[in-house]
Amino acid sequence: MSERPQNKPMSESDDTIYTPEDIRMQREAAKLEEPVEKANQLARKLGLDPYPVNYWIVDYDEMNELIAYGGFQQRYPHWRWGMTYDRQQKQSQFLGGKAFEIVNNDNPSHAFLQVSNSLADQKAVITHVEAHADFFANNEWFALFSRDPNAAAQLARHAETIRGYMHDPEIDRSEVERFIDHILSLEDNIDQYRPYEPISTDGDENGPELAALEDQLEELELSEEVKRQVFDEEWLESQEVDETDVTFPPEPEPDILGFLRAHGKQYDEDAEKAVEMEDWQKDILEILRREAYYFAPQKLTKVLNEGWASYWESLMMADENFADSQEFITYADHMSRVLASPGLNPYSLGLQLWQYVESSENRRQVVEQLLCVKGVTWRNFHEMVDFEEVLALLEPEDLVASVDTDRLDVIPEGDPRIDYETLAQARDGDVDLERYPWMLFTYDGLAERHYSLVKPQNRGYLSRISLDELERISRYMFDDEKYETIEKAIDAVDYTVGWDRMREIRESHNDVTFLDEFLTQEFVDEQNYFTYEYARSSGDYRATSTDYRDVKKKLMLQFTNFGKPTVVVADANYRNRNELLLEHRYNGVALDIGQAKDVLKRVFELWGRPVALRTIKKEYDDHDIEVARRRNKEPEAREVGWEIRYTGNEFEEEKVEWETVEHLGATDIDYDTKPEEWLA
Amino acid sequence: MGLREDLERFREVGEQRRQDLAEFIQYGDLSGGRPDQIKIPIKIVDLPEFAYEKRDMGGVGQGDGGTPEPGEPVGQPEPGDGDEEGDPGEESAEHEYYEMDPEEFAEELDEELGLDLDPKGKEVTEEIEGDFTDITRTGPTGTLDFERLFKEGLKRKLAMDFDEEYVRAALQIDGWGPDRVFEWARTEESIPVSRAWIVDAYEGLSADERTTYGSLAEMEATVEREPTPARIRREGIKDIPFRREDERYRYPEIIEEREKNVVVVNIRDVSGSMRQKKRELVERTFTPLDWYLQGKYDNAEFIYIAHDADAWEVDRGDFFGIRSGGGTKISSAYALAKERLDEEYPWAEWNRYVFAAGDSENSSNDTSENVIPLMEEIDANLHAYVETQPTGNAINATHAEEVNDHFADSDNVAVAYVSSPEDVTDAIYEILSTEQNDE
Repeated sequence: MSERPQNKPMSESDDTIYTPEDIRMQREAAKLEEPVEKANQLARKLGLDPYPVNYWIVDYDEMNELIAYGGFQQRYPHWRWGMTYDRQQKQSQFLGGKAFEIVNNDNPSHAFLQVSNSLADQKAVITHVEAHADFFANNEWFALFSRDPNAAAQLARHAETIRGYMHDPEIDRSEVERFIDHILSLEDNIDQYRPYEPISTDGDENGPELAALEDQLEELELSEEVKRQVFDEEWLESQEVDETDVTFPPEPEPDILGFLRAHGKQYDEDAEKAVEMEDWQKDILEILRREAYYFAPQKLTKVLNEGWASYWESLMMADENFADSQEFITYADHMSRVLASPGLNPYSLGLQLWQYVESSENRRQVVEQLLCVKGVTWRNFHEMVDFEEVLALLEPEDLVASVDTDRLDVIPEGDPRIDYETLAQARDGDVDLERYPWMLFTYDGLAERHYSLVKPQNRGYLSRISLDELERISRYMFDDEKYETIEKAIDAVDYTVGWDRMREIRESHNDVTFLDEFLTQEFVDEQNYFTYEYARSSGDYRATSTDYRDVKKKLMLQFTNFGKPTVVVADANYRNRNELLLEHRYNGVALDIGQAKDVLKRVFELWGRPVALRTIKKEYDDHDIEVARRRNKEPEAREVGWEIRYTGNEFEEEKVEWETVEHLGATDIDYDTKPEEWLA
Repeated sequence: MGLREDLERFREVGEQRRQDLAEFIQYGDLSGGRPDQIKIPIKIVDLPEFAYEKRDMGGVGQGDGGTPEPGEPVGQPEPGDGDEEGDPGEESAEHEYYEMDPEEFAEELDEELGLDLDPKGKEVTEEIEGDFTDITRTGPTGTLDFERLFKEGLKRKLAMDFDEEYVRAALQIDGWGPDRVFEWARTEESIPVSRAWIVDAYEGLSADERTTYGSLAEMEATVEREPTPARIRREGIKDIPFRREDERYRYPEIIEEREKNVVVVNIRDVSGSMRQKKRELVERTFTPLDWYLQGKYDNAEFIYIAHDADAWEVDRGDFFGIRSGGGTKISSAYALAKERLDEEYPWAEWNRYVFAAGDSENSSNDTSENVIPLMEEIDANLHAYVETQPTGNAINATHAEEVNDHFADSDNVAVAYVSSPEDVTDAIYEILSTEQNDE
């Protein structure tokens, strides 16, 4: 497949003959060169440290293709991309085109701009992309896969390999497609908290024991017939595991894909037994596993990463006027559309949470300072402190609040907030400060200029602090009489603590840890979050709680392990017959049994022998539901052990003794947020 | 890029991968389609994965300027409530839907269940002009069927024509007069000659001529009777006796387009004993039936009747969810159904289906004294009763049994039992094949 000639980084130039379409692309590229350069400068001044970004100008169709391919130009052939593409087209047809930002985790990162977008949208995308590139470069979860993933090239290589197998006359193409489907059913069943380690394609997967045993048998010089009857392959395999006399795997293994790669077989219908996978199968399995590991960090940091990008996009676009006033209206419209998408939106949850983190960090520092004022204690804090006065004192100084280009000469020397290099250039007329006022400032200057606590929407933050939190903060204070006056205390406030803290968080957190640590009652109240549950008694969904602990529980459920139940390989010699036993780590939320059965069919294809799954199932009695309904309560579910086994042509399902599944049940987590009694 | 290929593969896969129809009816989400909507969304089976049971998972919502009180219903969670993967640009966990219209649904169901219901046309909705194959006795000259007129004339001529010479020869037999000849011609020779003609001819003969032959045998020996076709061939057709009565005018055939109208009455027991599971089973059975009939007929209308001890008509949106506390009197629903059908859907113009569902509980004697007579009174292609009993029969729940016994020999009454989703397709088959047998 050839690449379209206009897919070139904007900066590159060569001798290609250009079509009118190319020229249109080039014009757009030329128009965007300055915004791209400025966005990067601004991002760096704001403390971000992004990977370099190559921007590509693409047309509408190419954009849809990129979206379908998960942000890359080449992926292995699969109908799923076609499905996404189809949906994407329908969506833009019915909902109107949204400006999508596509940037992929790579060094340098690649980002794509649609030629027909308005300039405001382009700028929004560019600022958003710079922040993503910073996140990719600095978040440690991305380092798990690789700091230098070379992703585009790797995915293109994967595409080529798989396409090669599909076109191989020796291999049935539809078999390759089916095989890919089987693996993709398990693409989230990896160990995303561990770094990726490839399982090599060569080497004897049977392990040394089996090979040794085979050698011993050779030495016995038995006739072929005896060997076939007594020491058949099945016996050999059973020896392999029995000999070690421990369960295998020794510890439950969450990386099901990796386990199947290392020990899986395929079922040979003619031979009616499991046989080694073909080389192409092993190869594809490892390729798709590698891709699953590559994409895992993005899935682990969706709220964090999207929120991060939205936060800096909003700061650059709106607060720093990166869009001019005309463009800003388009931008605001775009932003509200993105953030107002229905349901729980990772963009808006992330953005709100980052803003909350910023403000609470700033508040914590201001409160620390105020508690050091003579006579101010956590008990009398709300009486002693005049919050309006404090906010007035916190307002950024005129020096950073606005730039008067006619009065550049009165800017004092030696102020840490001023970028003197820019100032000199501006005085010479080389820098347009009217257009890019932020260029005059350093990180410190910009931090003060955009200090969160004095923004109109945040002015209530300071006074809203609870006595609990005041007490907690004061507990760690040593010198609580440092300042004579409130004025002096505020004077010592460091405007950069909010941003500094945010950068620390973006380095080490993922969605789960982020939500766990920073979601508070104050935040939940402010943003009107609530939980809901399906009520069996009334047969519909009902709001259940606004307690932040409940909201957190539900969010954790949605973001832990990609929002999927944890299923592990428990025993690879189940029933002493090399069957595969999977176990669902039950956390109180039931497994979708119907889907699980479909997955088991696919696992069978990758294991080659019968597979089983144990879980805990919830059962509701019709009578109980009725009784509960009358009493305005929810019925109690009965939890029972459940085992599903797939033999290759049929399912066996049965209730199992509680003892066999007891260890699967979580005792310390409860994701249920239903109140004891429904409010009448 | 290879995406075009991927798209094509998806289209192929999408067709193959849509949920099996029977499975969809038994377990799928039927709420997506409405009889008044045309598309039935059947989930395209995306790749399965280990996932939480949706309902058991619950979720987090964000209020708009306030939060709902605990216990307040919040509606269906929006798609995209957090569990999709990746950027909003690639919401890959959402399901694609294969949209089936009711016609296709009916066709597929026919195939899947081996049904073949042939809908009857009822109300004449329009007459269109077909070929000019019908004829009438009057009409514009241009449409006169001359060929027919000529043929009829020819036939008439052949019928009326006779060998005049031969008859005249008979008059020349000595002693024979007009009366004798007339009798001879008519009885012995079957010559279509009138008495008037014979009298005229006789008068035209001279006295000598009247005695030319001594006897009939002599005349027959002398004069040979010439058959009409031979004479016409010899003489040619000089004139054809065209008669007004033979005139026919062609006019176009009128084809009556009978619209295949159907009215479906859905009756449901909403009394206290009809719990959640029973309600769901009714919905699972009735909804595909509605779709099927909608797909089979040109024009389908639906009446939804809920009843406990009384019956009332409801919107479809409310039909499957309603609960009331009262007792049960099934005849109340049939009385209302009869009233509604007689009012607006005359049997001459409408195919009628009356489906009722409940747990077979009824007030004492209501079934035999009221319901059965009403079912007999209501003309319908098909009456059906669907008993939904997820937990086995209650002792006094005998309605289905009584109806079944009474109408055992009838071919337009079906009784089906549904105690779990697995039974639904069998019940649908049972119901729809009853009418088919009737054909």
